[in-house]
Amino acid sequence: MNAQQLGENVKQKFGAKVIDFETLGSDQLYVTISPDSLVEVAEYLYRNEGCRYVINGGTDRRQQRDAFLITHFFAQDEEKIYVAIHTEVEPDNPQVDSITPVVPAANWSERETYDMIGVVPVGHPDPRRLVLADDWPEDLFPLRYDVEHGVKPPPVEGLAPERLEPPEGASVVPIGPYFPVLEEPAYFRVFVEGETVVGADYRGFYCGICGYVHSCSYCQAVERAAGIEVPERAEYIRTIMLELERLESHMLWLGIAGHIIGFDTVLMQTWRMREPLMWLCERISGNRKTYGMNLVGGVRRDIKPEMYDDVRNVIDKIGEEWAELAGAIPGDTTLITRLQGTGILTTETARELGAAGPTARGSGLAIDVRVDHPYAAYDRLEVTKCVHDSCDNLARVLVRIEETLDSIKIIHQALDEMPDGPIMAEIDEELPAGRQAMSAVEAPRGEVFHWVLTGTENRPERWRVRAPTYANLQNVPPMLEGNALADVPISIGSYDPCFSCTERMEVVDVNSGQVRVYTEEEFRAEYDQPRDE
Amino acid sequence: MFKELCQKSFPKSLWVYHCNVGACNGCDIEVIDVLTPYYDAERFGIKLVASPRHADVLLVCGPVTRQVVPALKRLYDAVPDPKLVIAIGSCAVGGGIWFDSYNIVGGADTILPVDYYIPGCPPRPEAILHGIAVALGLAEKEIESVHLKQLPDRPESVPVEVEGS
Repeated sequence: MNAQQLGENVKQKFGAKVIDFETLGSDQLYVTISPDSLVEVAEYLYRNEGCRYVINGGTDRRQQRDAFLITHFFAQDEEKIYVAIHTEVEPDNPQVDSITPVVPAANWSERETYDMIGVVPVGHPDPRRLVLADDWPEDLFPLRYDVEHGVKPPPVEGLAPERLEPPEGASVVPIGPYFPVLEEPAYFRVFVEGETVVGADYRGFYCGICGYVHSCSYCQAVERAAGIEVPERAEYIRTIMLELERLESHMLWLGIAGHIIGFDTVLMQTWRMREPLMWLCERISGNRKTYGMNLVGGVRRDIKPEMYDDVRNVIDKIGEEWAELAGAIPGDTTLITRLQGTGILTTETARELGAAGPTARGSGLAIDVRVDHPYAAYDRLEVTKCVHDSCDNLARVLVRIEETLDSIKIIHQALDEMPDGPIMAEIDEELPAGRQAMSAVEAPRGEVFHWVLTGTENRPERWRVRAPTYANLQNVPPMLEGNALADVPISIGSYDPCFSCTERMEVVDVNSGQVRVYTEEEFRAEYDQPRDE
Repeated sequence: MFKELCQKSFPKSLWVYHCNVGACNGCDIEVIDVLTPYYDAERFGIKLVASPRHADVLLVCGPVTRQVVPALKRLYDAVPDPKLVIAIGSCAVGGGIWFDSYNIVGGADTILPVDYYIPGCPPRPEAILHGIAVALGLAEKEIESVHLKQLPDRPESVPVEVEGS
């Protein structure tokens, strides 16, 4: 099945409710539907066509079309298709049906869309503020075009987010407002009975570790929309840089994970191993991080043939030391006792809540954008999906360890096969306006997704980004259920959470005794008050 | 005078509390990098602590977001006197590329009195070490301070006053 066939399936099923559909290549489908059929279409894609939910975005198109455009993005991984469902909403009555009741993973992004553009998701089980600051005015939506850029309403003191009361008999352990291990803004209120976690209330807060994936994904989306052909050498260079970034990030993560469980030797050793890689990246790109190499049409800096051997030496040395480390982990009692059987995230929950990257692969979901939706030079290289199905913290560690070794192989292969040639495409004309494209990249933490709608004067009109931690953190509260309090930091840490990806808020509660997850309605009825009271 | 005061107040180890106020993690990672074997800041007695109550120094990374302002003020008050504030990275120094975003208040000095600035995106570990060494009086500053001033009615010429020239 390709995008055209999937579009025809949808058209056939919903008839006149599908206003129009178009495709971009064989792998991107854009369907415009009438607002009243949104829930049905979303449910059909999610349940019948095997699509995975990605994200939702809102665009102010009152100038062009006299409407707000609400878009839900889905991915069909087996058939290698991305699907966008567009709905136009009247500006006088900015309301749209919420799809969260049928697609739970849409929870946060629908709330975010309301915060940013002011289109109310009707029927959303938990329509509270997500992104904006507590003292932000209720009726000011920053992404509307009539709101001035950089508007800064005066601060109001003394406003705090609503907090959940703990279940009866449980006490509260606050973690934050700074997460003590990562020193990043995140606020968890963990409800405990004895030492067992019975629930959590979470308030959390784009990223330097994944500097390259976002620029790469954005450039790819613009290139795709404008029909720019990127030189093959540039694609290989992008691939190599992406894999170097993955190496750097996974090594960093393993160190931090060691630190979280009080095993600082792991932190010191992995970061020592990682440092030559940072120097290498600095030689290639001019910066240790935030490489700044991507441009629309290619890359700014070449990897010169005389540097190939340096790259090989550095990654080979890492490979050697990493293999030793990987061999030591299964035999280390400290690590095994802390990791095995803790922080269970079941395969079903991971799919329902849209987990991505190593978090999903540690729960037995075999998704990897490099294989499912190949980009850059990945269709010419051999990539292995590293999947473990024990669903615990150990699985997520093992996935990352194997991926690191796999990355080294990919870099070798890319260096061997990299063709000569230019690294930038010639772009003489202004990019066409009003075109759209989606692009995804497998970041170290999971799928990074970008959607770009081009505007005039070489500017984007709308650009929607989904970072992987956004999807993964929604999985935290169900995972904490039933754990000992001491396992909370490593369980959260095992997602490799990048709080800067997720300046957002989530609440879930679990009752103790019979350990059962509340549905959001029950939960609201019991603990929550409407926000404006 | 301030330098002497610093040397007097912090004669031995500096305990550091590192806080991200909206950073992209770039600076945070370099801060941790400074503590790992290649740079090993602990040889100067610098140690990261988990609570502001134990800290002498507050390291601030990132542009200050609207949401974090009350938490940051509380954090500053929680650090016992005498205390130093060091802003790390372009964003903490002046808001960086986010300076005019609706959700950003500005650099760290819009909220806190900042004693030292370490610019860079992200600053190299060497730069962070150097900045802290300057604060401790272990190293000399390598450049003169430059005051740039833009006059609103004469946008075409930007007078530059260089101190000490």
